[in-house]
Amino acid sequence: MKQITIILEGFGSTLLLLVRSLSYLPSLPRQRARFIEQCYMIGYTTLPIVAILSFFIGSVLALQAGYAMQNFGAKQFIGSLVGLSMARELGPVMVAILLAGRVGSAITAELASMKVYQEIDALVTMNIPPARMLVMPRLAAVLVMVPVLAIIADLVGWFGGAIVAKYVSFISIEPEGYFSVLRRYMKFGEDVAGGLIKAEIFGFGVVLVCCNIGLNTRGGPREIGAAVTRAVVVSLILILVLDYFVTKALM
Amino acid sequence: MNNLQQTARVGLFFLLGLALTWVTFETLSGGKLFKNKGYTLIAGFESLKELKDGDEVRMAGVKIGVVEKTRLAGRRAEAVLRIDPGTKIANDATASIVMAGLIGTNYIGIDLGSEGSPPLADGAEIKTKVTPDINTIMTEIGNLGQKLEGALSSFGTTINGDGKGGGLFQKLDKLVTENSEKVGATMTNLQEITTKLNKGEGTIGRLINDPTLHDQLVAAVSEIQATAAQAKTFVADAQGIIAQVKSGKGALGTLVYDETAADNLRSTVANLRSVSDKLAKGEGTLGKLINDDTLYISAQSTIKKADRALDGLGDSGPITAVGIVANSLF
Repeated sequence: MKQITIILEGFGSTLLLLVRSLSYLPSLPRQRARFIEQCYMIGYTTLPIVAILSFFIGSVLALQAGYAMQNFGAKQFIGSLVGLSMARELGPVMVAILLAGRVGSAITAELASMKVYQEIDALVTMNIPPARMLVMPRLAAVLVMVPVLAIIADLVGWFGGAIVAKYVSFISIEPEGYFSVLRRYMKFGEDVAGGLIKAEIFGFGVVLVCCNIGLNTRGGPREIGAAVTRAVVVSLILILVLDYFVTKALM
Repeated sequence: MNNLQQTARVGLFFLLGLALTWVTFETLSGGKLFKNKGYTLIAGFESLKELKDGDEVRMAGVKIGVVEKTRLAGRRAEAVLRIDPGTKIANDATASIVMAGLIGTNYIGIDLGSEGSPPLADGAEIKTKVTPDINTIMTEIGNLGQKLEGALSSFGTTINGDGKGGGLFQKLDKLVTENSEKVGATMTNLQEITTKLNKGEGTIGRLINDPTLHDQLVAAVSEIQATAAQAKTFVADAQGIIAQVKSGKGALGTLVYDETAADNLRSTVANLRSVSDKLAKGEGTLGKLINDDTLYISAQSTIKKADRALDGLGDSGPITAVGIVANSLF
């Protein structure tokens, strides 16, 4: 019973935080510096790890597909398989998981320590709502940056697949053929844009949940660590559960 | 890091994202950027089958454009082909929908047309022809399957019977079942015969197994050889005799080679002939004896008389009998 109450409290507080943050959206121009800083944190510094991971995910996708497809002569469709998988599923999900691990944990740690060391209370005392100063710029930044990260992940993954398809001896598909198949079986509106929307939803949810958990931390320094762990776990669950429903909704 | 630099980086990053999104969009939606290059042709088909926007247009296997659009136009389907600039298509070239793979990949194949015919202009219509696609082939295979099924079922009827007379196998089975005793007996007999043969019993068995016959045969052959040798000496002797005959020695030699003897023989033969002629004509005593039956008749009557005399002999005694014989004789 207590567990259910805690979960419901989590839902409720997250929704309240969302509503409050959105109500402070008009103050975004005045917080431009903070917005840029968050964009830098969320987007720019996350780029290398996103690029490396998506390159290898694309490669291994091509490798596995080539290995499986050579048995029934569908090798030439590797391009479309890698392209569709990256754009529709792996790109967005991977970007969201990296955000949860790299950005979400950082946000929770920062907000939880501010809460534990009563900086949040100080802000509230000064009539500065934490939702306005700490949460809203982050949400705005993630909305702007996640599509960029996702499209980079898609393209790097495609190129990783193309390189593997060309240089692995039992696949040996020229990049021209790879991209021609990829282009033939993909539509920007359905596949790539759908993936970007998914990434947007996941990223937004991850940052919102992480902010909420950070702001609701109670107790001492030990609780900061526990809050970070909980934030990452909840984010991952949120991503994969949302993934199914969003994918279904977008079809 | 100062604020300006951070802002610049974020701005650059965002612009990069926008640029990549735009490039992806252009690439995947067929690219409005490249859309106005080249010229269009219209290819009308009864059915476009699996053809989609963005499929390739190939001339003799070389990619020369893409299918820009597919649409229905009245009672036919039209594909608008975007042909690369610089590629000339002869106005008698023919377009067809070609299957590149079994999994629904198609392209429009255009043949080279005849040399020297004028090229098609922008917006012109290209001639088309229908090629069988996988569905047509599958239908054909389906028909073939039905025919096969019919053939197989009639074959099956032959084997299994039509419910009345019983099939081939049933008949065979019946034949075998009914005659199994006979066949078994035959087989037993055959086995016995072969066993006997093997043991050397009976004529054929002995023939096969007994060496005596062979020995006898060998002996017979050697006898034949000996006989042949004797025959040889006989022939040699005969040759010797003939040689003697030839040289005129001996009686036969004289007969054959002596002219005098031959003349004698000839005159003898002539005399014989005249004698026999006379005999045949009934001349002379011997001839009459042979040809005239009077003697026979008189002899017969004489004998009859003798007979009577002999009958009467019992009564008149021997003298009378002699008298009667004498009477009848003279």
